[in-house]
Amino acid sequence: MSADKTLGGAGTVPLSAAEAMTSTTAEPVADENGRASAATWRAFRREPLGLLAGGLLALLVFVAIAAPLLSPYPASFGENVLRPPGGGEWFGTDALGRSVYAEVVWGTQQSLLVAAAASLIAIAFGTLVAVVGAYFRSIDGFIGVVVDLTLSLPVLPLMILIAALVGPSTTTIILVVAAFSWPEVTRIVRSQALTVVNLPYVDAARLMTTSPVWIITKHVVPTVTPVIVVSVVVTASRAVLSAAGLAFLGLGDPTTWSWGRILYEAQQSGAMSSAWWLTLFPSLAILALVLSATLLSIAYNDARNPKSRRR
Amino acid sequence: MSIATFVLRRLARGVLTIWFAVTVTFLLLRLLPGDPALAVASPNMTEAARAALLEQYGLDKPLIVQYGLYLVQLVQGNLGVSFTQSVPVLDVLMQRLPWTLLLTGTALVATVLVGVPLGVIAASKRGTVADRAVQVIGVVGQSLFVPSVGVLLLYTFGLVLGWLPIGGAYDTGTYGNEWYLSVLSHLVLPATSLVLIQLGSYVLTMRSTLIDALGEDYTTLAHANGLPARRVLWKHALRNALLPTTTLIGLQLGFLVGGAVLTETVFAYPGIGRGIYEAVTQLDFPVLQGAFLMLAATVVVVNMITDVIYGFLDPRVKTA
Repeated sequence: MSADKTLGGAGTVPLSAAEAMTSTTAEPVADENGRASAATWRAFRREPLGLLAGGLLALLVFVAIAAPLLSPYPASFGENVLRPPGGGEWFGTDALGRSVYAEVVWGTQQSLLVAAAASLIAIAFGTLVAVVGAYFRSIDGFIGVVVDLTLSLPVLPLMILIAALVGPSTTTIILVVAAFSWPEVTRIVRSQALTVVNLPYVDAARLMTTSPVWIITKHVVPTVTPVIVVSVVVTASRAVLSAAGLAFLGLGDPTTWSWGRILYEAQQSGAMSSAWWLTLFPSLAILALVLSATLLSIAYNDARNPKSRRR
Repeated sequence: MSIATFVLRRLARGVLTIWFAVTVTFLLLRLLPGDPALAVASPNMTEAARAALLEQYGLDKPLIVQYGLYLVQLVQGNLGVSFTQSVPVLDVLMQRLPWTLLLTGTALVATVLVGVPLGVIAASKRGTVADRAVQVIGVVGQSLFVPSVGVLLLYTFGLVLGWLPIGGAYDTGTYGNEWYLSVLSHLVLPATSLVLIQLGSYVLTMRSTLIDALGEDYTTLAHANGLPARRVLWKHALRNALLPTTTLIGLQLGFLVGGAVLTETVFAYPGIGRGIYEAVTQLDFPVLQGAFLMLAATVVVVNMITDVIYGFLDPRVKTA
């Protein structure tokens, strides 16, 4: 297992953390086999970092769902403007006297929603393109070129242009982020799918049926599922960063709170650099979400790979 | 394949990428819901001025003709006129481009200078505390949100400690050497922000490719021949492991440019990124469109340069 497989393949490859941490990509192992997935789960439970990351992620999901119980919606304007944390306000107040704690809690909902929705769309579309391309080789070349070209462009300025044209709303942000996240998914899944379609059991399946749909859904997709799982996590964490970046530039949904919007309003009010609590708490929330997602994918990758499992 | 063919192929690829960026932009502007004229005509214009402008841009003609006109205009360097400043977008952007190039260029060089040695340390001392520390830097680095990092640096070193300026690109009223020093001191914090978010990928890629290289037969042979371990590492394994890292530079450029947009916004740095932020606030579409195309073209040109360097570095390109 060499640099060739991690770096050659699709030709162009910014390594994600999950890929680069384990210098050996695991061989395709069908997870239909119950024993393999059970072993993965056993190894995963022994990895404290993975469990910690999972716990953190679960906490964030809980905050998102339970937001109405944890804090009132940060709409009312208070008299205490730009108060540092302390007293009744854990996270301080912003330039309009609103509770930063309430903004962060309610922002969790929006940030998780955008990340989940954008990455699910990107994963579904990206996987479809990758698998179909790998199976029907005639269109694979075209897909490869489109993916390479998109990945080599600076996508944030393009997302900004589109979001500004269409007008910022939650739907716009989800669609824009998804539209520029799928090529990364396709790149990762495609290199795996290309090795799978050449394996003897796929040839054997071709003798059994003439339906490509059946072969793809029964044989190709299950084999690339572990790669998809990792790429869900990586794509979702990138989606968080992209959405926060757009919101920070003023292209977030102006009707709901998101972590990026707290930073944007801090910047707009000119209090960003002096009132540290306005930046610190949403920043920590972003870091917690992205970092726990990344660590989770690394732990999953390690647990899945028999070579790196702890004895 | 001779080196000339290789270079020509890479040039063709660069041209293809720019064409792709232009076409995507054109289709988005014309096909997205909303008035296509919105992108060129300011809402504050009179009806007659608006109609004249639409005709000038050929927006009353069929899509394919519009596409042709769009290409011709771009080739002539016509990116339209800024709504808010009433000057050609190209002029606005050309004033800002040098700052963005200075910022991203500095950040790129610094990232490679710091990232490669860190990766080498991690790979050569695999499994030690140093290796673990480098991996943590790599993973955390990839999870950072640029504005957060920027504000943290700005607050710590600019406001609390007061060591470095908190915004802009230079102090007005400075000349000669003093001016260069002021440019340099304004560059430190934004460039550091970009280095921190980029470092993770470089460190982890360097580490994993070097670990692979250290497991290759030629490394074993070099050890068996009695070469000092230090020499095997730096002369034999590293040189091969550096090639994928060269490719990584090209691949990370788009990400670097996106980071620069956010960093320049935080530090009020007068580059294209800050221009984008201001254009968003004023919904200045010609500037937004021009900025994307110019950044895309920059990325493509730098990519072509790294590709050509790669061609000269890797002897396999000539013999393959």
